[in-house]
Parts: sequence; structure tokens; C-alpha cells
Amino acid sequence: MKIDSGDTAWVLMSAALVMLMTPALGFFYGGLVRRKNVLSTIMHSFFILCLISVQWVLWGYSLAFGPDKAHIIGGLDWVGLNHVGLTPNADYAPTIPHQAYMLFQMMFAVITPALISGAFAERQRFKAFVLFSLLWATFVYDPIAHWVWGAGGWLHNLGTLDFAGGTVVHISSGVSALVAALVLGRRIGFGQGKFEPHNATMTVLGACLLWFGWFGFNAGSAVTSGTLATSAFVVTNTATAMAALTWMTVSWWHKRQPSVLGAAAGAVAGLVAITPASGFVNVMGAIVIGFGAGVVCYAAIQLRERIRVDDALDVWAVHGIGGTWGALATGLFATVAINTAGANGLFYGNPKQALIQLVAIGASWGWSIIGTFAILKLVNLIVPLRVGEDEEALGLDLSQHGEPAYADVSAF
Amino acid sequence: MDPTTIMAIACSVLVFTGWLVLPHAPKTVKPAVVVSEERQPVAISA
Repeated sequence: MKIDSGDTAWVLMSAALVMLMTPALGFFYGGLVRRKNVLSTIMHSFFILCLISVQWVLWGYSLAFGPDKAHIIGGLDWVGLNHVGLTPNADYAPTIPHQAYMLFQMMFAVITPALISGAFAERQRFKAFVLFSLLWATFVYDPIAHWVWGAGGWLHNLGTLDFAGGTVVHISSGVSALVAALVLGRRIGFGQGKFEPHNATMTVLGACLLWFGWFGFNAGSAVTSGTLATSAFVVTNTATAMAALTWMTVSWWHKRQPSVLGAAAGAVAGLVAITPASGFVNVMGAIVIGFGAGVVCYAAIQLRERIRVDDALDVWAVHGIGGTWGALATGLFATVAINTAGANGLFYGNPKQALIQLVAIGASWGWSIIGTFAILKLVNLIVPLRVGEDEEALGLDLSQHGEPAYADVSAF
Repeated sequence: MDPTTIMAIACSVLVFTGWLVLPHAPKTVKPAVVVSEERQPVAISA
């Protein structure tokens, strides 16, 4: 196997783009919370970037991508990056150093638990968050990544199409977010008034940076720098734009005003939905996927509000439902005209692919619910998941970190 | 045209023409009730 310098440069650059998404997520979430919790919210993303970077090289990559054990999990043969060197690995990326692929995948493992943090924002104890994130990455993310992407994984063998993480990243984080919101309970004051975002401009900036980084997320998943990466780039941008337009239009019709935050959330929903499909659909498919994301994710938020679940930053609606729609849509609109290594979907004469996608969706939902619930209960035995009422009222910036985000807060 | 293209065109038409019938003036703005446990600064008179 010969290393291709163009492919290697693109994958390393893509890894850097995906890395940027995690602090971008911190700003996206940080703008949506009240000013007394902004620093703690940004800290969730920043801390996970550090935590999973170490977990991944120690054992995470081995569990997710190491030699297969019973089609369920990777073995421990690659712990500490043993056997993960600078020569290519034929199973995953035959034209780039194995460590470049490992690094690219690390950034996916980083952002996924960071996504969940939006559900328990403004009320989770930091120590509980640390324990939860480490356990969740090990026992929920790594197994699902192996099922779908690992050589020998059972969903991989079944023929699941997930180009960049609709099931592995978005369904797992979105569904886990719903479980976390239910287990932790509502914030003090929930339902008595609106928790206004403290800085909408920060949120829009975060969404723009997420959009930018997502080109590495999806187009980088081609693991080459040629035609497939170009196609993934084009459909990613198209679906994102269409979802933002659709969400804004739906909210304009529903709330009688075009929401700026709605347009930003719609863009993120489009990015989520096109993620599993980005290497398998054409640009017309991307428009339909973007439109669907704008409608179903907006509807999911209305449902979440109606049933009064305090998923603080709507992780379930955007990532759980957006990821589910994207994974299903991949089974509808995939075409081998885009990727010969993929498969045709329902609208290209292969209804079986839609059924395979449903199996992958069900498995991802199921393991995320079971694993997250068990981990939260376990962590709660060690340290209370929630801060006390007085700490919540004071704000997590001061109660958990002893630092205000803005100087004037401490003066009040 | 294949079904995907037909659906994509239908979705685009729906969104683009939808703007024609949407409200063109903002509704009357009511100040939102903001939940906050933060203390507010107190006015000090001389």
C-alpha cells in the first residue's frame, strides 16, 4: 500500500476541521443558556475535547476499530495505539497513515458526548459530567462505532450505510440526551417563563463555525481527496442551506416571524440529516433531505415542548430526530451512481436498503437508551448528578468553576 | 425525471412560494417574561 500525499493532507485537514466543531458547539450552546451558566456550558465541550483525546489513544480507538470480537466490539490489541502506526490499514484507509485515520476518527469520538451536554445544561454537577462522559464514550459510543464502522461489526456486515455518523454520532447522542434530560429532571423555573438565550449572536457564530467544520466531518469521511469528497462537500452544503430555509419558513408560518436562531438551528438540523447520506446521495436527494430535516426537527421541538421535557438545548430534536431522518433517508435516496461502494436506496429500486437502515436506527436507539440510563444511575451512586438548588440558582459558572463568564455578574 | 428530482423540485417550490403568503410585517412585540435568579442592580439615590 502506497501513501497518497493528497489524501493524507485532506484527512489531516479534515481532522482539524472536525476538531474546530467541538469548541464551535460550545459557543452554539453557550449562547443559548443564561449568562450565569455560559462558562460551564463552554467548559463541557472544551473538557471533552481533552478527555476523549486521551481516552481514544488509550483504549477508545481499539474498542471501536480494533480487531473484531464477536461482531460486537473491537479487541484490546490496539490499546495505547499498539499496532496503529504510520503505515496504512487496508480495512479502513489504504492510502493514508493509520494514525491519520485514527486522528480523524478521534474528533468524531470527541464531539459526540459533547453534543449530549446540551440536554443537561444549567443543572449537571461537573464531577458527574466527567464520570458520565468517560463511561458513555467507552460503553455507548465505542460499541456503536464498531457495529457500524468497524471491520466485522454486525451492522457493517448487514450493509448499513452511514457515511459520516447519522447513527454513530447523532442518534446515539440525541437519544442519550433525551434519556439524560428525563433522568436529571427539569431546571428550576422550567415552564414558568421563557429561558431566554443570553447571547444569540454567539449561537449564530457557533452555527456558522459548525457548518464550516462539517465539511471536514462529511467530505473528510471519503478518506480520499477525489470525486467522492467533492460530492459529499456539495450535498452537505446544499442540504444545510435547504434545511435552514425550510426551518425559517416553517417557524415564520407558525410563529409569524422569521427567527434568526431558528435559521441557525435549521442549518444544524440539515447538517445532521445529511451526515449519514453525504457519500451516497446526489444533490436532488440532498434538497429533499434538507427539507425533511427542517420540517421534522421543528416538529420534534414542538412535541418536546408539549410533553414538557427539559432537554435544555434541544439535542434530541435536532440530533436524535435529525439523525434518524437522515439514516432513513439514506435508505431512500442512496444511489450507486454517486458511490459504487454503497448501495441503491428505495427510490432507486432497492427497498431492502430502507429496512437495513431501520434495523440500524433501532439498534442505535436501543443501545443508547439502555447504556445511557445504566451509566447515569451508576454515576448517581457515586456522585449526585444534579447540583443543589442553591447552586443551580447561583449558576454553574460560580458554583462549579468559581469563575464568572462576564465580570459584571459577580458584582450583582 | 426520477422521483428524487420531482420531490426536490416540489420541496423547493413549496418553500420559495411559501414566502409570498407569509406575514410581511412583524406582530406586536410583547416583552418576554424572563426567568432569572440573578440579583438586579439597585438604584442608589443621593
